Amino acid sequence: MKTCMKRFPVILLALVFSLPTTASAHEASGGVGGLVSGFSHPLGGLDHIVAMVAVGLWGAILGGRAMWMLPVVFPVVMALGGTLGVVGVQLPGVEMGIALSGVVLGGMVALAARPPLWIAAGLVGIFAIFHGHAHGTELPDAADPLTYAIGFVIATGLLHLGGIAFGLLTRWPWGGTLIRVGGATIALVGLGFLTKSL
Amino acid sequence: MFLLPLPETHAHLMVEGAGEVANGALHPLMTPAHLLVILSLGLLLGQRPPLDLKTPFRIFAPVSAAALLWTLSGRAGEVGQPLLIGIALITAVLVTLEMKIPAWLRGSLCGAAAVAIGLDSAVGGGSTVSTLKTLAGTWLSLNAAVFYLAVCASNAEDRKWARVGIRVLGSWIIAIALMVLAFSLRKSS
Repeated sequence: MKTCMKRFPVILLALVFSLPTTASAHEASGGVGGLVSGFSHPLGGLDHIVAMVAVGLWGAILGGRAMWMLPVVFPVVMALGGTLGVVGVQLPGVEMGIALSGVVLGGMVALAARPPLWIAAGLVGIFAIFHGHAHGTELPDAADPLTYAIGFVIATGLLHLGGIAFGLLTRWPWGGTLIRVGGATIALVGLGFLTKSL
Repeated sequence: MFLLPLPETHAHLMVEGAGEVANGALHPLMTPAHLLVILSLGLLLGQRPPLDLKTPFRIFAPVSAAALLWTLSGRAGEVGQPLLIGIALITAVLVTLEMKIPAWLRGSLCGAAAVAIGLDSAVGGGSTVSTLKTLAGTWLSLNAAVFYLAVCASNAEDRKWARVGIRVLGSWIIAIALMVLAFSLRKSS
C-alpha cells in the first residue's frame, strides 16, 4: 500500500502520457499540436538540446541548491519567453541568443565555473527566454495547447534530468574530466550555431 | 485572464464497457486540466508538515459535491480551461516556493478547485440515476486523488530529494500553465 502510494505521482504522469485526446488525432495529420508534438519539439533542434542538457549538467556541477534551482528556473522562464513568442512580442537576436546559450553554458561546464547561485540562475533565465521565445513563435497553432504544453515541458525536464544524471559522474575521478569534455563539446556545438547565425 | 474564451469544457468521455461509476471515476484522471489542478492541490496540501487534511477536506469534499450536483440543473454554464489552468498555476507557484500559506488561502484554493472541476464535469444525456452514479464516481475519485497525493507529498518530509522533486513538479506545472494561458490569449485576440 505504502509503495503504491509512493508511486502514485508516477502513475498520474503515466496517465497523462497515455491520454487519448482529439488533439493527438489533429497532431497526426497537422504536424503541430498535442502531446507527441509537444514532447518531440524540444528534441527537434540540437541547439536547444545541448543548452538544456548543459543546464542540468551545470546544476549538477554546482551541486547543492543549484542542482534543482537551475532546472526549476529554466522551464518557468522559458514558458514566459514562450508567452512572449506566442502573443507576438518581438525579441531581437533570438537565434544568436540560443546559440550563445550553448557556448556560455557549455563553457561554464567545461571550465567547471562556480559563480554564486543568483548569477548562475540569472544566466540560465536569460537564455531560457530566447529558447522559450523561439518555441512560442514556431508553434502558434497547436491543436491542443494543454497536452502540447505537457509534452513540451516533460521533454524539457527530461533533458535537464539527463544533464543532471551525466553531471553526477563527478563522483568518480574520471567523471570530472568526462563532464568537462562534454561541456566543451556543447560549447563547440553552440559556437557552430553562433557562426551560422552571424 | 481566466475569463478568456477558450471553449474547452470537459464533459464526460464515456469509456465503453465501464459502468457509470467507473466512467465518472475515470473522468478527473483522464482530463489533463483537472489532473493538473488535482496534482498541484494534492502536493500543496501535503507539502508542509504537519499533515492536516481535515480542514481542507471540510471545504473540498462538500463544495465539490455541491458543484457536481449543480451540473444536474443544467445552469452550470461552461467553465473555461483557463480558469482551471489559472487555479493550477497559483497552486503550483505556492508548491514551487514551498511557502507556508495561511489557512484561508488553502481553503480558498480548495474551494475554487472544487467548484471549477465540479462544474466542468457535467454529464450529458442519460437518466438521472445514471448521471448521479457517474457524478458519484467523479466525486469519489476526485477526493481520493487529492487525498492520496497529499499523503504521498507528506511522505517527502524527511527525504530531501523528494521535497526537491515536488518543487520541480510545481515548476513544470507553472510552465505548462503559462504556455496554455499564452495560447488562450492568442486565440482570444
